[in-house]
Amino acid sequence: MKNRTAKLLVKRIISSIIILFLIITFIFFLVRLSPGDPSQKFISPSLSPNLAEKVRESLNLNEPLHMQYIGFLTSVIQGDLGVSYNFRRDVISVIMDYLPFTLLFTTMSFILQMIISFVLAVKSVKKINGFFDRTLSKLTLFLYAAPVFVTGVFIVFIFSELLNLFPSSGLKSYDFQDYNFLDKILDYLKHLVLPIITLSLAEIAIFYRYLRDNLEDVFNKLFVLNLRANGVSERDILFKHVIPNAINPLITIAGIELGIMLGGTLIVEVVFGLPGMGRLTIDSILTRDYPLVIGCSLAAGTLIILANLIADILKASLDRRILEGILR
Amino acid sequence: MRFTYKIWHFLFLLWLIILVIRFELLINIYELIVRWAILLFNDSETAFAQLNFDLADNIVSGKLFIILPVLFFLLRKKLSFLKEKFSYASLFLTLLIISFLFAPLLTNGNPDFYKNIGMTKLLPPFTSIKVLHFKKDEANKGNSPLEKFFASRDKVIKKSFDESIIYIDSISVGEKAIYYQNGIGKETEKENLVFINGKPFITGQMFLFGSDQFGRDIFTRLIYGARISLLVGFGSVNISLLIGLIFGFLAGYIGGIFDAIFSRITDMFLSFPIIFLVVLILALFGNSLVAVIGILGFAGWMSLFKIVKTEVLSIKDKNYFISARLLGLTKSQLLTREVLPVIIVPVVVNVIFLFGNVIIAESALSYLGLGLGDNYPSWGSMIQSGQEYLSSAWWMIFFPGITLIFTLLSANSFGILLNRKLNPRLQND
Repeated sequence: MKNRTAKLLVKRIISSIIILFLIITFIFFLVRLSPGDPSQKFISPSLSPNLAEKVRESLNLNEPLHMQYIGFLTSVIQGDLGVSYNFRRDVISVIMDYLPFTLLFTTMSFILQMIISFVLAVKSVKKINGFFDRTLSKLTLFLYAAPVFVTGVFIVFIFSELLNLFPSSGLKSYDFQDYNFLDKILDYLKHLVLPIITLSLAEIAIFYRYLRDNLEDVFNKLFVLNLRANGVSERDILFKHVIPNAINPLITIAGIELGIMLGGTLIVEVVFGLPGMGRLTIDSILTRDYPLVIGCSLAAGTLIILANLIADILKASLDRRILEGILR
Repeated sequence: MRFTYKIWHFLFLLWLIILVIRFELLINIYELIVRWAILLFNDSETAFAQLNFDLADNIVSGKLFIILPVLFFLLRKKLSFLKEKFSYASLFLTLLIISFLFAPLLTNGNPDFYKNIGMTKLLPPFTSIKVLHFKKDEANKGNSPLEKFFASRDKVIKKSFDESIIYIDSISVGEKAIYYQNGIGKETEKENLVFINGKPFITGQMFLFGSDQFGRDIFTRLIYGARISLLVGFGSVNISLLIGLIFGFLAGYIGGIFDAIFSRITDMFLSFPIIFLVVLILALFGNSLVAVIGILGFAGWMSLFKIVKTEVLSIKDKNYFISARLLGLTKSQLLTREVLPVIIVPVVVNVIFLFGNVIIAESALSYLGLGLGDNYPSWGSMIQSGQEYLSSAWWMIFFPGITLIFTLLSANSFGILLNRKLNPRLQND
């Protein structure tokens, strides 16, 4: 059995690598075929044609397209994504500057989302169609429909403008340098409160609705009736029988959502002016920093595939029956 | 039997309200249509040269204003949705579609109209402001069809600038007329003003939802923004539908290598944040209305592809499908006659949810400054510009934000409603 699992896992990883390869190929050709020339930025009219040609050569832009592609692929396989035009540094080191923030921010928000939606769903399913349940389903429908930037701007308005509780943008205060270590952490946290609330609200709505509907479905199954007839306490029914049966579809959704969030929470980062992967990607796109664009999309693709893979493995370890189905 | 409000009650009420409030404008529009028709008979080349978007817009909405009610009345037996019970989702969707079709009739001005920014910028909602009218130069007073057409056009079409009006605080008329703007008085000759009963002609203009940083009316911009949102929504959903339907059918029907390739491409699109792809293409190849519609349509076909593929795979081995194929139906006939009726329910429901997503994506792009630019009023760019004035003008984000949320909410609940109505498996519950 273990051997079989390993085989399936290897197969899955290979198909992930193929997908990553497709992504970078697609982005590579999209970027190169677009009008415009990134070397324009470094070439002034007073530069001699000879030097201008040298600039183009240093950016590898003078070769024919297929030669560029082959060179690009060989360097990617060697683990070298090239040098960013804007930062004049290795793409990987640039991404490494931005990735920790996104990882931290997203995981914090994700854990919060999971806990809150879980608690809310369990609470509302205790009395289906009760007051709490109905209010929450209206509220989550509202939050689900609202675009992130609208809720973000509203939250800034309420908490930052009206109540003046939290700063509205950025990651550090202007006198950040003078703080001691503890104050620095507090300052970071203070700046992260509103973004985390904004990012979490929409996702909580999604998770809550899924979990609540699944829980209700499982509660209506016959085996629950049987358990009740046997005198098992409601608490045991909920935690030992209903939740393990209802949690599987949620894991799939959570994997997808986590992947997308890890790829960059673009809108939240723009609303709150945070330095994350989303803004790095957009800035690199807008300034035509080709190696960085490809690096960012590779990072986003890898994170999405990883999150989905983890979700699938988790699901399979909970339910052996679907092991083969999802590890295909 | 209790009386329930149905959709046609609401539509009729709206029609009546517009008819009463905009009666003068409607008459002018019909006059314009007649003038244009006369011009068309006399000098068709000039008539077509004069035909721009604003003119066509006014003509079409004026005509639809009469034709649609008549059509609805004649086809009332067939259009069963008119007798549906009235809900907030249908209310909001109806309002949106009406502002899409009749935008020139609903509002009083051009969405880009601004004048005397110092007087009108960042006005709170429900502010009324005095408008002083100057005499217009009467150049267009000939008798030829073209000049009559021009005169009639000037009455109907709202321009983004107007020399003959000015916003004022107050006015005092003595030897000369002195009007005050922000406490500063300015003189003008009496002959320049329009006098009615010996008093200068002053009307009031209400900024229903306030004004933005350039003194533009937010209500008008919202109405015209609904146009952009709905246009982008319809356009890109149709593109997604076309791509998803055709490739899904082919992948399910032919299978094999075609299926493998397209499934890999779908996986690729799904393992990459779509917003980045959209931004990438827009940034690299330039953004225009058509580009935004095309790219958002191109970015949304994956779910439809999957639905259509699985459904086609499941009916491929059914007897009726095999017999239809053996009868010699071509692929397009198979798709339209045998597959479409089966998959219509999940596809329609999915399309409605997709519609909501496209509207979100369009406004998010505008919010990021990558949408349609400043050429068109868009809800997203209104929110973006409102964010700068958050502390002084809450109405600049509040009204577009609420409109956006309600649009998406009603699209969502409309999708759920439709699913419940059309899906036979759910009706038993």
